Amino acid sequence: MAEFGALSSSFLVAAVGLGVPLALAALGETVSERAGVINIGLEGSVIWGALGGALGALALGPYGGLAAGALAGGLAALVFAAFAVWLNTDQIITGTAVTIGSLGFTGAVFQSRFGATGLALELPTVPAWEVPVLARIPVVGPAFFDQAVTAYLAYLLVPVLGWFLFRTRRGLSLRAVGESPEAANAAGVPVVRTRMLAVVFAGLTAGLAGAHLSLVHTGTFAENMSAGKGFIAIAVVVLGRWNPKGVVAAALFFGGAEALQFALQAVDADLPYPLFLALPYVLSLAALAGWFGRSRAPEGLASAWPRG
Amino acid sequence: MSTRTRALTPALTAAAALLATLAVAAALLALGGYPPGDAFAALFRGAFGTWDRFVSFTLVRATPLLLTGLAVALAFKARVWNIGAEGQLHAGALAAVAVAVALPGAPGFLVIPATLLAAAAAGALWASAPAAMKTGMGVGEVITTLLMNFVALFMAQFLVQGPLRESRGVFNQTDEIPPAAHLPDLVPGTRLHLGFLIGILIAIALWLYLTRTPGGFRLRAVGASPQAAEVSGRFRAQPVVWLAFLASGAIAGLAGGVQVAGVTHRMYEGLSPGWGYTAIAVALLARLNPLAVVVTAIVFGALSAGGGAMQRDAGVPEVWVRGIEALVILAVLTVDRSWQALASRGSRG
Amino acid sequence: MRDALRLRGVTRRFGPVTALDQVDFALAPGEIHGLLGENGAGKTTLARVAAGILQPDAGQVVIGGEPLGARGVGGARALGVAMVHQHFSLVPRFTGLENVALFDSAAWTRRGTGSPGYRERVEARAEELGLEVQLDVQVGGLGVVERQRVEILKALMGETRVLLLDEPTAVLAPQEVEGLFAVLRQVARAGAGIVLVAHKLDEVLAVADRVTVLRRGRWVLTGEAAGVSARELAEAIVGAGVDGGGGGVGGGDAGGPGTVGGGGEDAPKVGAAGAEQAPEPRPGDDVEVARLRAVTVSTGGPIPLRGVSMEVRRGEILGIAGVGGNGQRTLAAVLAGMLPPDSGEVQLPEEVGWIPLDRTEEGLVNEFTISENVALAVHGSDDYRRGPWLDWAGVAETAAALVRDMDVRADSSATQAGVLSGGNQQKVVTGREFLRSGELLVAESPTRGLDVKATVAVRARIAALARSGKRPPGVVLISSDLDEILELSDRIAVMVRGRLIPVPREDHNPTAIGELMLSARGDGDP
Repeated sequence: MAEFGALSSSFLVAAVGLGVPLALAALGETVSERAGVINIGLEGSVIWGALGGALGALALGPYGGLAAGALAGGLAALVFAAFAVWLNTDQIITGTAVTIGSLGFTGAVFQSRFGATGLALELPTVPAWEVPVLARIPVVGPAFFDQAVTAYLAYLLVPVLGWFLFRTRRGLSLRAVGESPEAANAAGVPVVRTRMLAVVFAGLTAGLAGAHLSLVHTGTFAENMSAGKGFIAIAVVVLGRWNPKGVVAAALFFGGAEALQFALQAVDADLPYPLFLALPYVLSLAALAGWFGRSRAPEGLASAWPRG
Repeated sequence: MSTRTRALTPALTAAAALLATLAVAAALLALGGYPPGDAFAALFRGAFGTWDRFVSFTLVRATPLLLTGLAVALAFKARVWNIGAEGQLHAGALAAVAVAVALPGAPGFLVIPATLLAAAAAGALWASAPAAMKTGMGVGEVITTLLMNFVALFMAQFLVQGPLRESRGVFNQTDEIPPAAHLPDLVPGTRLHLGFLIGILIAIALWLYLTRTPGGFRLRAVGASPQAAEVSGRFRAQPVVWLAFLASGAIAGLAGGVQVAGVTHRMYEGLSPGWGYTAIAVALLARLNPLAVVVTAIVFGALSAGGGAMQRDAGVPEVWVRGIEALVILAVLTVDRSWQALASRGSRG
Repeated sequence: MRDALRLRGVTRRFGPVTALDQVDFALAPGEIHGLLGENGAGKTTLARVAAGILQPDAGQVVIGGEPLGARGVGGARALGVAMVHQHFSLVPRFTGLENVALFDSAAWTRRGTGSPGYRERVEARAEELGLEVQLDVQVGGLGVVERQRVEILKALMGETRVLLLDEPTAVLAPQEVEGLFAVLRQVARAGAGIVLVAHKLDEVLAVADRVTVLRRGRWVLTGEAAGVSARELAEAIVGAGVDGGGGGVGGGDAGGPGTVGGGGEDAPKVGAAGAEQAPEPRPGDDVEVARLRAVTVSTGGPIPLRGVSMEVRRGEILGIAGVGGNGQRTLAAVLAGMLPPDSGEVQLPEEVGWIPLDRTEEGLVNEFTISENVALAVHGSDDYRRGPWLDWAGVAETAAALVRDMDVRADSSATQAGVLSGGNQQKVVTGREFLRSGELLVAESPTRGLDVKATVAVRARIAALARSGKRPPGVVLISSDLDEILELSDRIAVMVRGRLIPVPREDHNPTAIGELMLSARGDGDP
């Protein structure tokens, strides 16, 4: 029984740790989709965040790395926004291009800096902070309150975004842009600017998620290490019904699905691990199939809006 | 716009996009400390330097791009955003190997069709899950096809590590398929195989289908406006969407089968360097026209064949090629947008 | 006294088209100013420039003495300009209150939640204006009249100096128009200037103090409403002599002989059902082409059908009046054979022509050519097959004949549908749907959004079709435009809340039908 308790506690720690990058990216994407932009290039922001985090950490230490990662993700999103929002190109194709290009160019930068052999890079990592009292709560305490600063940022974003989206005038305007850009424009809301800002915000949080991968989760960088996290984050937004609370819950659920593979491998090393690697993706699909019928995307999602 | 200029626009778009890509790529290469001239020269030599480079490298690499490019073009024509050609290709490759290995003594005229049909069927099957989710539950296919790609990759990994692992058990790969299942060479003395011809035939067939048949007309109508198709065309859009998904998946699956039967003769992890994604650039640059896909697939085949030479001779990492593919997509979108802006300035009011 | 709104030499171009050409316009505080003109005359563009939604290419917009400059919608709002759009600018999934707040810069404080008392302020303003508004329901679920009230309340929440209304009466029954005008008079009394964009002369003359007419982007006349006759205005609008009876509207460079056909000899010769001497078959030769008996539909549309019975005879036009959204769409889908009813009996010809409400989204594929749009109707027919192939040459021939017979103004049948004017698009749809079936033609608001000339032409085409040859089709004309119903119909019924109420011949007048249109409003289920 005690062993089970320890196991479930370490499982929860892993689940939260793996859920945090999904939550960060998905919370940002929630804002972007509420403004009517679906950014498949989120995956690109995550990988740039991971690389930016790595380079930043080498130059400025782990916290500088986190900031650099967020910035790198934001810049990738700015490229996406320049095309998909400012030039009004197709959001889905543009996002796909940004993802492909990001995976390519991060690889190019990485290889030119560290050589094509890809020698395992050791990065200064971001330490966990234990929250004094809360971390002592049995089982959930260490899982939720003995994490790196990125986790606390994710927790903080939930009420902040909930307040922003549903309780402020700017949030109302942003949601109007996502529901009906025509109506928002007629009400004097600057559609293009709102969408640009929302997309870049999502890029910042996705970049932070990438930096979490390299600076908290692994302590290294590898090409393609984002491994579809950005795509899963988009599915997480759908499952969380475009609502910060729901999104963070869905992200933790997927963190749990990923953690399961480690927990089960600890039990039996012969289990075929690729199947467990596939698990979060299969679960994403199953959850989309099961839940989507009951949730509704913003009506103006992926809608075009020309300038002027 | 006159009819003449309208006919020329797609070609102009493609040419302008390629030029823009070259310019941006050159700037980025220079920024990265590589002399762009040397890099492009190496790339060109690697792709077109000799007859054998062109046929055995450029055209051989163009083959899976041709098939996946056609798959994407067909789907996009029906406004089905199939981003899942990569996964469908893997499903097709696995099915092809499984069938070919299971028929060791069969003659080529039996085993080759069986192999390729199995590949197409597996690709269609892989596409049917997102199709069902889109038509039955209203779940957008962009995310589902993307997620299915990862499932396919991990499934391939699992199979080549376990159930389909080669009998000598050294590497994570399947056994080699029997020689009877190998696709015959197309040009003697080169590595170009029958798959390239299959791709060209499918391109012609798709072009005829889309432009000359009632079914292709319905598919284009659904792509242009599902509401108008239903109200004015009086046919249900849903079966057409299904057809586009399944046919697109089948062609992408065939790409996997052709690659296995024509080039690698076995399945292993990392069979595809991302052809299913490059296919999007191939199809877009071709303006979704199947015949033009033949040309753009060769362009990207050359990029891929030249990428290795660029790394070897100019020291530019091969991953740059992925970046250049992305630049092509963005350039096409931008040039396209500029045309539209010009055209709408002419007709709005 | 300073003008509430003044436009000086305003020019606005869309590509080669000059939508407004050096237009001057002045609006006095407290006046209701009718703005008249054909579609494309520049009325809506003028309103949108004044509201800051569009930037003028030349000229100046001055609001209450202050130039608007390039400050856009926000700037115009701040100066007290509000606009009620024809296609409402509401967010369907927001509640009434959220929609009002979105527009009202004073609504939400930086502190967060809607500032305390805001809701009460909105309610008070609604009461003041005599507008009954549902604030807590998502506006997407409201009827068109309720939505218009939200739109008006939203516009009038702030300090309003100029109120612009774009075709606000188009969606209203006659009795509701009066209610709207009462609100407008009250707003004007409070000192705001009102610009009322409309195309119905009598309505404008009933409420406006002054009127201005635009034609082809140019100012034509401004005058006291009391001092001009409807006939003078109509002449100013179309630019030449007007014959009220729907006869030849000439003049202008789009006109010319044969633009507008009235009688049987002008019947289009589309497809095989050519018209030799039309033998005046009306009012129907009693051959029934369609029949519904107690048809009930509760799925497939937001407004169900409740026990609808009707029959349509050859060569007659059955007019179905009603305020939009009372089940007309569901009825059209049933008649077109696209929607099987839950119960009741349906007898329809094998194929039915359907001119759908939304010609650009449903009637046509804009990026297709005219030929390809014709192919939408014929691509399944054996007449247009050659083995496995679609006979494009045959389709093009038919399309060319349609272009000729329906008098479509296009270079050729290879012209893209999207570049045609609204009237010509509608002629293509009408011709194609007649091609589909010579038995039954369902026309859903076929002239919505068309200008006067195009409206006359399309109506004439429909009338001519119903009188064409020995086997004319039966026509079901569904429209919220009472004038159209009265002008064309042999028999009339009114659609209210999913029921169909026949109107006896002696009640074929706007007042009686208008009363019926509103009669069953608000009653519960049967």
